[in-house]
Amino acid sequence: MSGYSLGIKEIDDHIGRIRGGSNIMMIGPPMSCKDDIINIIIYNGVKDNDAAIVVSTREPGERVFNWFKENKLDISNANIGIVDCVTKTLGMGAADTENIKRASSPVDLTGIGVKISQFFEQFLMKKNIANTRLCINSLSTILMYSNIQTVFRFLHVFTGRVKAANALGIYVVEDEMHDPQTIATLKQLFDGMIEIKASGDGYAMRVVGFTPKPTPWFNYEMDGMNLIMQESV
Amino acid sequence: MIETGIIKLDDYLMGGIPNGKSLIYYTHPGVEGNVFGMQTLYHNLAAGMKCVFVASSSDPSMIIDTFNEFGWNLEAYRENLIIVDAYSGLIGATSNEKYIVGDPENIDSLNETIEKVIEELDDKSVIMFESLSTIMDLCGEQKTLDAIKNWNTYGMLYEHVLIYNFTAWPYEPETLEHMKHNLFDAVITVGGIAERVIFGQYFGVLKAEWSDVELKSMLFRVLRPGGIRIYIPKIVVTGPFDAGKSTFVHALSTRAVSVDRIGTTVALDHGHVDYKGFSADIFGTPGQERFDPIIKMLSGEAMGIFLVVDSTNTKDFVRAKQMLEITKAYGLPLVIIANKQDKSDALKPEEIRKHFNIPDSVKILPAIADKGVGVFEAFESLVNKITEVA
Repeated sequence: MSGYSLGIKEIDDHIGRIRGGSNIMMIGPPMSCKDDIINIIIYNGVKDNDAAIVVSTREPGERVFNWFKENKLDISNANIGIVDCVTKTLGMGAADTENIKRASSPVDLTGIGVKISQFFEQFLMKKNIANTRLCINSLSTILMYSNIQTVFRFLHVFTGRVKAANALGIYVVEDEMHDPQTIATLKQLFDGMIEIKASGDGYAMRVVGFTPKPTPWFNYEMDGMNLIMQESV
Repeated sequence: MIETGIIKLDDYLMGGIPNGKSLIYYTHPGVEGNVFGMQTLYHNLAAGMKCVFVASSSDPSMIIDTFNEFGWNLEAYRENLIIVDAYSGLIGATSNEKYIVGDPENIDSLNETIEKVIEELDDKSVIMFESLSTIMDLCGEQKTLDAIKNWNTYGMLYEHVLIYNFTAWPYEPETLEHMKHNLFDAVITVGGIAERVIFGQYFGVLKAEWSDVELKSMLFRVLRPGGIRIYIPKIVVTGPFDAGKSTFVHALSTRAVSVDRIGTTVALDHGHVDYKGFSADIFGTPGQERFDPIIKMLSGEAMGIFLVVDSTNTKDFVRAKQMLEITKAYGLPLVIIANKQDKSDALKPEEIRKHFNIPDSVKILPAIADKGVGVFEAFESLVNKITEVA
């Protein structure tokens, strides 16, 4: 089957499969479980034999893997590559592993770019895996160290690489952390958005850009690794 | 003059980089160009030179680890290494380095520190900028261009060599043009071969003011440990039946595998060689005539050919010449291996030459493949031919 599903049934039912080469911004307030949602999207891909590349700017690579273990999700044979931008920033020396490559810092866009390219080559050329998901979690951390022009240039290159590789790119942005001009600038690079907002005591999400009208808002909550969704009224 | 420490690049640069000159490794995003500057720095440290590393995107305490990945032990030369910390100020961290850029986002702050270092160096040195693109991102394009002119002038006055790693993100076209053509004495382009993804990397000399080298691109790989290796994706080993081709491939290779039946190659031999800065994949053909279609297939897109002959078996030389035609070897770099030189009736290379209508530039080298004698000399000769400066 061509294209990608997010693995979130309520959303997939509305938007169908996302065309390969698409780039999506996931934007939402802090503590709205964006990390969990990203991990669920990754897991739903790798269990269908997709590969995943995660650029982690907030957690060391090992902790990203731990999330799956803690939630009893088997990724032992999965093709997941983590670009860890945290460990070396904390001044901790740790060697690269087969699945974790460490960039010097979130400022080191050159190094991050090289490691993304290496994982793309590994998955597409050496392992012949047709579908790869690239998740950058998060752009907001990168924007803390680099200005919007720099990040725009970086994304201009890598959204292009996602298109060329027929992959799916998902880029996490913290809402309320950036001025509207920054968000408007970033939006130019993406084909769609997963929007998250506060809703009552919890949060709601919708997807914009893949159907003529946005999907309805869905209230959601996390129960372990289960995302429980309910259409807002 | 200093060497870059990168095999073949120093040949292209007529020996290396003269003192007082600047060189930029101009790298396309996603390609491992940063290793070039690191290798040049380490090569010169190991040669006893004083070197300066301007850290703009790495925590200085992590730099030693990063070099260690390539097997380069900076600790051994720490007294000759100065680290300019243009990173810690960015994340609000403290620094133990002597030279610290207080505000890495302010070009004046960086300028001041670089000038101070250059003035205080007591001997001709190598100054390497870890990431010029990071400086440009933080300080702005025009201000950085102006600063580079200033640093290069200082370098020239004090006869230091300045090396810059630069990632060519989509900056203003005029900025990139300026970087490629106006600001530096030498420009080495480091790029990627891409289809859906980058699957190969190359470097070439775009310009070097002190040398009239012809622009030529070389494929490379980065080994950990090891650093940059010139990569030759296909060298074909061919020759008549029982000339010793498989033995030659296995003797030469770090690892090798053969598809054979009762000791006779029926499909191919494949080996991989890492030797003296070169990394190559070697493909051995069968020798029997009935496999000629396979030989033709195997030899497509080869960058060089070894023709292995049994020095005792002159009647097979006709077949050897026929195999050169099948492999379309004429015009490609070619080395003839005069194998089995330990046999009493073996012809010497110069005697073998009389049987072949080949130019004098084609080397015929003696070898005893089953004892590993002469195989690496032959490899070196062929890869030098493949990569020679035009």
